[in-house]
Amino acid sequence: MSAIDDVAAELARLPGIGKKTATRLTYFLLKQPRSALERLAEAITALGTRVAACSVCGNWSDADPCGICADARRDAGLVCVVEEASDIAAIERSGEYRGVYHVLGGHVSPLDGIGPEDLRIDPLRARVANGGAVREVILATNASLEGEVTATYVRGVLEPHGVKVSRIALGLPVGGDLEYADGLTIARALAARREMGS
Amino acid sequence: MRLSQLTVRQFRNLASLDLEIPEPGVVIIGENGQGKTNFLEAIYYLVLFRSLRGAKDRELVRFGEPGFFVAAVAGAHRVTAGYETATRRKKVTLDGSEMSKLSEAVGTILAVPFSPADVSLVGGGPSARRRYLDVVLSVSEPPYLGRLTELKTALKQRNAALRRGRPEEARAFDGPFARAAEYVTATRRRWVERWHERFRELCRALGEPSAAGLRYRTGEGTDGTEGTDDADAWCRRLGARMERDLRQGVTTVGPHRDDLRLSLAGRDLRIYGSAGQQRTAAIALRVIEAETLAATRGAAPIALYDDVFAELDENRQARLLELIREALPGQAIVAAPRDSEVPAALFDRPRWQVAGGRLDR
Ligand SMILES: [Zn+2]
Repeated sequence: MSAIDDVAAELARLPGIGKKTATRLTYFLLKQPRSALERLAEAITALGTRVAACSVCGNWSDADPCGICADARRDAGLVCVVEEASDIAAIERSGEYRGVYHVLGGHVSPLDGIGPEDLRIDPLRARVANGGAVREVILATNASLEGEVTATYVRGVLEPHGVKVSRIALGLPVGGDLEYADGLTIARALAARREMGS
Repeated sequence: MRLSQLTVRQFRNLASLDLEIPEPGVVIIGENGQGKTNFLEAIYYLVLFRSLRGAKDRELVRFGEPGFFVAAVAGAHRVTAGYETATRRKKVTLDGSEMSKLSEAVGTILAVPFSPADVSLVGGGPSARRRYLDVVLSVSEPPYLGRLTELKTALKQRNAALRRGRPEEARAFDGPFARAAEYVTATRRRWVERWHERFRELCRALGEPSAAGLRYRTGEGTDGTEGTDDADAWCRRLGARMERDLRQGVTTVGPHRDDLRLSLAGRDLRIYGSAGQQRTAAIALRVIEAETLAATRGAAPIALYDDVFAELDENRQARLLELIREALPGQAIVAAPRDSEVPAALFDRPRWQVAGGRLDR
């Protein structure tokens, strides 16, 4: 395989990129100055070498703890639980949320071989159990059936610890993926969160 | 409801059609295997965005082609559906905008298919009758399709957890399953309640002297609690069957195990009905389908007749024509192998020939 084919094949593995787009991107890259290509290559390499999951919240970050967990101006008593680290970026875009996060790393889906023990639920329980600094946990998993099931499960795990658990008000768009919601919609969904009963 | 234009590309054996459909409909004449059933199936695809015969989308693509496309104008609306095999992507548009949920476009075009294969609705297993009910309710009651999809998702996840031997994980899906099950069974029961008298009337009108019955029957595991199908009842049933479900690796109780019981003089039509009686009951179900759509959607559906008249004796044929004049007064697409097999009452519309997937006007 030629270098062109190699790059096109790698790009085609990215979500939302088909063979055609991958080829077009490859030819675009070919026309760039060598310095630009080196910057791109270095930036991508750094993802693998410098970025790691934050040991507190699970967010991807260059530093541990991550910028959000280390920020003293943020309310550490308010923890927003999301499925994926990319959901954090979506909520941050809303500009309204001042608490911290917890990334589960997906949702319960037996069809994909993912049970509750495969998610970062135990670290969340430990965070809540540890010293009572957490006042409220906001469950912001997706509005899909699996997201709801995951939220219900997490609520059950946290219940014995007496912490307030609320659910984001998801009248969110199709599939209910936070990632695709605009900032205003997310701000409203957070503001209208409701305490989850048992 | 009236279809005025139809476009078909690479659907089954139909390569390329661009047609103006006459107001009363058409008569399509062609030998078996030439494409007349596929033509009806292409139209019906725009009702539910699925094959009316239960085929998978990729099986609908013409041999060697990358995908198919069907479009129609009905009244003020234009509906299109396309499918691409390589990406397994289905795209549905309504009046030019892509629908993110298919259910938003379901029911824009209303049609009722009549086929000799309908006899399996009566003589076949419960899944054919559940499918019938689910199709009728999905097209007539907009929330139904969404709730049914939730039920199926919860069921698949729950079964996967059971196969993994994880009761805890399976139980996590009991809530969503039970809530969707409550809606689905209540809606199905309400429909049976509304139409069982009509089923008896129709069977009589079609020449069946004994009393025909239509009942909703819940599957095993609901003994003694029939009729109480709220979410709590479903949760209790799921709980009671957990051990058995774990052993079998499937959920053994739920609306996916229910059935419509069709009877004649109290005897199960599936087991004791003659071929003629089963055919009569199947036609009655299709007429009820048409009446349900007209009642809930406010428009008479398009009738799609696939060679259904030849196998009826003259008497039954005359009675059926009488019934459909009222129940399906709108457009009719009538397919048959020969002119002589189309009843005179339906023959007064333009006649097209189909051969090798091509139409000749
Ligand atoms: Zn962090």
